[in-house]
Parts: sequence; structure tokens; C-alpha cells
Amino acid sequence: DLLQWPQISKCRSPEMETFSCFWTAGNFYNLTVPRILQLLYKKSNEEDWKECPDYITSGQNSCYFNASYTSVWTPYCVQLASKNEVYDKKCFSVDEIVLPDPPVHLNWTLLNTSQTGIHGDIQVRWDPPPTADVRKGWITLEYELQYKEVNETKWKELKPRLSTMVPLYSLKTARDYEIRIRSRQRTSEKFGEFSEILYVSFSQIGIGCDHCTEEVEFPWFLVVVFGVCGLAVTVISVMLSKQPRLKMLIFPPVPVPKIKGIDPDLLKKGKLDEVNSILACHDNYKTQLYIDDLWVEFIELDIEDPDEKNRASDTDRLLSEDHLKSHSSLGAKDDDSGRASCCEPDIPETDFSASDTCDATSDSDQFKKATEKEEDLLCLDRQDNDESLPSLANTDLQRQHRSTQSENSHLWAPFGGSIESPHPSVHSQISNQNSLASTDFYAQVSDITPAGRVVLSPGQKSKLGRAQREGCTEQNFTMDNTYFCEADVKKCIAVTSHEENEPRVQEQGYNEDGYFTTESLTTTVANLGASTAAPPSSEMPVADYTSIHIVQSPQGLVLNATALPVPDKEFNVSCGYVSTDQLNKIMP
Amino acid sequence: GLLLAALLVSHMLLTKEGVTSMPICPNGSVNCQLSLEELFDRAVKLSHYIHFLSSEMFNEFDERYAQGRGFIAKAVNSCHTASLTTPEDKEQAQQIHHEDLLNLILGVLRSWNDPLIHLASEVQRIKEAPETILWKAVEIEEQNKRLLEGMEKIVGRVHSGEVENEIYTPWDGLPSLQLADEDSRLFAFYNLLHCLRRDSHKIDNYLKVLKCRLIHDNNC
Repeated sequence: DLLQWPQISKCRSPEMETFSCFWTAGNFYNLTVPRILQLLYKKSNEEDWKECPDYITSGQNSCYFNASYTSVWTPYCVQLASKNEVYDKKCFSVDEIVLPDPPVHLNWTLLNTSQTGIHGDIQVRWDPPPTADVRKGWITLEYELQYKEVNETKWKELKPRLSTMVPLYSLKTARDYEIRIRSRQRTSEKFGEFSEILYVSFSQIGIGCDHCTEEVEFPWFLVVVFGVCGLAVTVISVMLSKQPRLKMLIFPPVPVPKIKGIDPDLLKKGKLDEVNSILACHDNYKTQLYIDDLWVEFIELDIEDPDEKNRASDTDRLLSEDHLKSHSSLGAKDDDSGRASCCEPDIPETDFSASDTCDATSDSDQFKKATEKEEDLLCLDRQDNDESLPSLANTDLQRQHRSTQSENSHLWAPFGGSIESPHPSVHSQISNQNSLASTDFYAQVSDITPAGRVVLSPGQKSKLGRAQREGCTEQNFTMDNTYFCEADVKKCIAVTSHEENEPRVQEQGYNEDGYFTTESLTTTVANLGASTAAPPSSEMPVADYTSIHIVQSPQGLVLNATALPVPDKEFNVSCGYVSTDQLNKIMP
Repeated sequence: GLLLAALLVSHMLLTKEGVTSMPICPNGSVNCQLSLEELFDRAVKLSHYIHFLSSEMFNEFDERYAQGRGFIAKAVNSCHTASLTTPEDKEQAQQIHHEDLLNLILGVLRSWNDPLIHLASEVQRIKEAPETILWKAVEIEEQNKRLLEGMEKIVGRVHSGEVENEIYTPWDGLPSLQLADEDSRLFAFYNLLHCLRRDSHKIDNYLKVLKCRLIHDNNC
């Protein structure tokens, strides 16, 4: 048992004329001698503690102060004590402890009923508590009414009001109700006790209807059913309606993926030349031309593509600032040149060294066909210029087709563009391809003028290719840096070496990336005749950058490159790529 | 005229049960006289409003500043109006003459005029005083002025004969509201608000008693 001290539980005045204090005795008993608890009180303007005048009227453990002892706005202090000990003390003034008695004489009357007789309004009346002198205005009370159906648990509350009557609307006549009321002093917060419960039963006054026991609820089911039907009817009518506007308003067309200017059906039917033409004209594709992994395709395509002869040389175009119709390709070339710097590490491992014929196939699967086609192209190119065109077109298309499949369709755009009017231009351009200044698709940027113009090194590939037919020695190589396709050089040198009876060039000596400096190439060519001890595996001059080759040579070269005659010329390792051969050459 | 307009406006603002129809004196009319019943109605509403605000303000102050400071233990305080002998129970209120009671009411209201002005200004200097307390202090001060004017009007109507000496208790609690020690200062505020709540309740009660006695003949 918890030890409970005697304490004053509350002091209360029901009407602001008397008040009572109540306490609990606690279990702090000395069982031998029962304690006698006293309540002492003192007004604020008094000095002495006086004892409670009436211990009986309010019940046990209480003290009642009648009107003569009560001063309303005077502060009191009461304390619970026994002999020497004070257990509890409270200070208050009477106006603060007013808790009225409950109202009395609750009754109700019927105001009216609804037409169906299901609902009814009643008026509830009551009297203020008899102890409270409301008539003289000594105390002002407000009342709060609560009601509920008999079998409910939660009471509904009305707002506190001053009047002693209140109407209740829309009660169900089939049900019985309970009502209770409590009151409080108007400026207080605490309510007094509840009155007795008033029972409201309509059947007692004879207006309860038997058939009203079923509750008429809102017909949700019907509402839902009809709503759904109506909605369905509306939807169907809209869909079937011939009015396109209405249809569009309610069922807007879902956009399908579409590229402007391209008919998906066209792609399906496979009219690639048309598609290519469309794609070529698409400006969007320009930016996609130079993704790294497409680089190789570019490169490969580059070699001796007769298509390139269709166009004027890059340098020409750049220097003259002519804008061809395939401006995209020009732009491409510009970008190309810029990017075609030496430090291009991820050059794929196409194997040109498979043969020196046009059947050379590359290691890379991806570029295998392309390479084949390229070789074909070259072969075709060599064999028959004119005949190559249709096949060129075909291979181009096929290449384009493949690249379309491999999402490189845009890559061939330049070619596609050129293919637009392939035959005449090819003819004309091929016939014109004799100037020294004409370059390949690529040209290395050798310098940028202060004015901002790009100076390209004229490519010599085409020359080289041409040299294949015309003889490499006839070529007038410029001493500029130029990119050559490996195959070109290979062939040239093959021709050359054949002519000069010089060391054969092994296949693996070819540079996969196919770039050579003109210098190196020239040097090589020049050296071909001079050198007799050129290692077979490294005949090709090393370009500014070389690619990593799948090692076939016994020397285990990382790079497949030709040795530069180091003593004769400066070994320009602009990229830092050095082949083992070169190294060997350098360091005897 | 101005008083009547003010009373009318404040009555309309205070009417919580909605629009009550009452004879309205248009502004500026000279011969318009509100009935005594109307005057009492409005006075009671004002006094109830003032008591309501005082009660709330005291509760808020108690909650915010007085917790744990033991102010309640020192609740045996004396208000500056304690010198005015006002009825302390229903018997005394029944027995006192209505004119005397009216004078007493006026006296209490006048005595509170000064403290309310200072309360409104000093309470703003309490550290982090809530806006509601500040607003209520200002409102109580204004409404008290209006009630004072209304009561003077009623007294003018009711009084027969000469007006007695004005009952008035001066207030000297301003220094205590400006004490440097925060504890003492807050206790001074607590006291003042406690007294205000009590006195406003007194006035509200007295007016209701008077109204029921004079207007409704003890049958409210």
C-alpha cells in the first residue's frame, strides 16, 4: 500500500454563497490512537486560524461553511491538521471555486415531425439548479446539453448557452434518446455535475411508426450502378462519334516516336538510299558522327575509298572555304581533323596484315565486313573505276546498312550524302583526283593560323592509292605529315618493293591504324630501295601514333611499326608511342 | 451622442448571440435616449467582456510566468481597491442601496483607470510577453473607459439628487511593476492581474444584480 498523506481533495461552492471543503484521510494511521483531523481556516485579513464550523452537513471528511462564514471575494486559506501537524493547505477565494449543481426538471415536447414521419423535432426545457440564485442575478449560469441514441456510446454536445430551453432537430422517431445537461458559471471553465438523464421516446406519444424501423439510407448501390452506366454510355458515344474534335478532346492521340522527315514504313521497306538521304540531311546526326567507337569505321572507310574522291579535298575545301552541299561531311572533316591527333589510344585491332590482297580480313568482328568491303572497295577501285561505282554504292549501302544496324547509320551520312548523286560526281571527282592538294577524308591539322584558319596537311592517301595503280614511285610525296592507311602503304610499298626488288613487307608490318606520317612513309619508301637489311617485320614507317597490334612477329612488338632511320632523321615521337623496333633501332 | 454611439458599437461587437434588435439612436441625434434597460444591457455586456478578458489574461500569465515560482502560496494579497467597502456576499449586495452600489461601481472603475493604463504599457516590457497578453491589456483598458462612461450615464439617469463625492482609490503600484528584480516584478504583475480579475468579477456581479433588481424586478 502506498502511503497516502491526508490531503484536501477539493473545495467547492455551488452558488457563491456557501462553500465546502473535502479531504481524504489517507492510510497514515497510528492504529492505536486514531488521529483527529481538523480543518482550520483563515481569512486573508485575519491573523488566527479558526476551526471548521460544520463537519457534518457536507458529509464525512468535509467542512461546510455557511453563508455567514462566506465572503465571496475574500481570499481564504484552509489547512488540514491534527494537533501539531499540518498535512495540507489550500488558498483560494470563493468566486474561483464555483461549481453549480445540475439543472433540474428536464422535460421535452414535440415540435413537429417530418412528412414521412421518420424524423421529428423536439424542444427540451429545464430549470436551473435550485441552489443557484439566478433570479436575482447573483450568479449567471450557462448550460451544456448532451444527447445520444439509447444504444450509442458517444454523446453529442451542443454549444453552451444561457437559455434554459433548446430545440433538438431531426431526431429519428423510431429511436429512443437520452439527454443530460450540466451547468457552469458563465465566466468559469469547469462544469458542474450532470443532471439526471432524460429519456425521449416517440412511441410513447404515439408517433413512432412501425414500418419506419427500416432506415432509408442513401441508395449508394443505385447511384454507383447508374453512374457507371452513364459514364460508359458517354465514353462509348464519344468514341464512336464522328466528330474528330470531340474525340481528340477526350481521347487525345498518343504520340508515337517519330523522327521528322522519316517515314518508319520507309525503313521497314528497306529503301535505304532514301533513308540515307534523309538521314544525311538531318542536322542532328552531324553531332553523332564523331563518337569514339565510330572512329575506326571512319578510319577504315577512309583508306582508299573512291567515294572520297567524290569530294574535293579537305584542304581545298577548308582553305577555299567552299561549302559543299554535303556540308555535314565538311564539318565532319573539320572535327575529324582536330580529333585525329596522335594520341588516340583505342584504335581497334583490325588486322590488315592478313594479306596484302584485298581479301584481308580484320580481327575485329565488328569491322570485319567493313574491312572486307573496304578491301573490296580497294580492289574494285584498282580494277575498275567505273565498275566500282555501283558496287561502291552497294558496299556503301551495305556498310551503311550494317552501321545502321550497329547504330552507326549516321556515320555514313557523308557518304550517303555523296551517294545521293553518286554516279556523276564520282566520275567527275575521280577524274579530278590528281591534284596534289587533294586529300583523303582525313587531313591532319598541321597548324592554326593566328587568324584562326586551319591549315591542313594535304593527305596523300589518294595519291597513294593512285600510286598503287600508277606506281608509288611516281607519286610525289610531300614531306608533310599525312595519314595513310596501312593497307595503302602496304600496297604501295608492295608495289614499290616489287618494283625495286626490295624486302618484302610482311603483313604484320602494317600499321593497323593506318596512319603514317608522310615523312616516315616517304622515308620508308626511299629507304626501301636503299635498305637491304630492313627487318621484315618492321618495314612500315612509324606514324605519329601507332596502334597496338596483336603480336605476330617473333619480336613481340607492342606496336607494329616500321623503324625509322633514326640517325638520318629526327625521331618524332609526338605521341610517345614507340615501337620496339624503333627502340631497337634507336638503341643498337 | 458620442457615448451612445460608442456604447452602441461596442454593444454590437459584444453581442455574441447574433444580431439582437434594439432601438438604435442614429449618430448625432440630440433627443435620442436609450432606455435604462438598454443602458444596463450594454453595461452588463461590457462588464462581462472585461471580466472575461481579465480572467483569460490572468490564466495566461499564470501559465507562462508564475509556474514554479510559488506565487500562489503568496496569494494572500491585497488589492489597492480593498479600502473600498464593497458587498462581499449576496446578503450585503441585496441590502445595499442601488445608488450606493452604483457609486461603488463607479469608484472601482475609476480606481482601475490608472493601473490599467500602466499595465498596458508595462506589460510590454515583460520579456517575451505573448501577443495575446499585450493585446488583452490594451483592450481591457479601452473597454474599461467605455464602461466608465456608460456607468456615468446610468448614474446620471438613476441618481436622484446630488452626486456624492467621488469614490476613488489611488494606485501606487507602478514602482513595483518596474522593479529591476525579475521575480519581484513578475509577482507584482501577478498580483495586479489577480486583483483585476477579482474586481472585474465584482463589477460584473454587481451590475447583474442591479439590472435584475431595477429592470426585471428581481426576476431575471
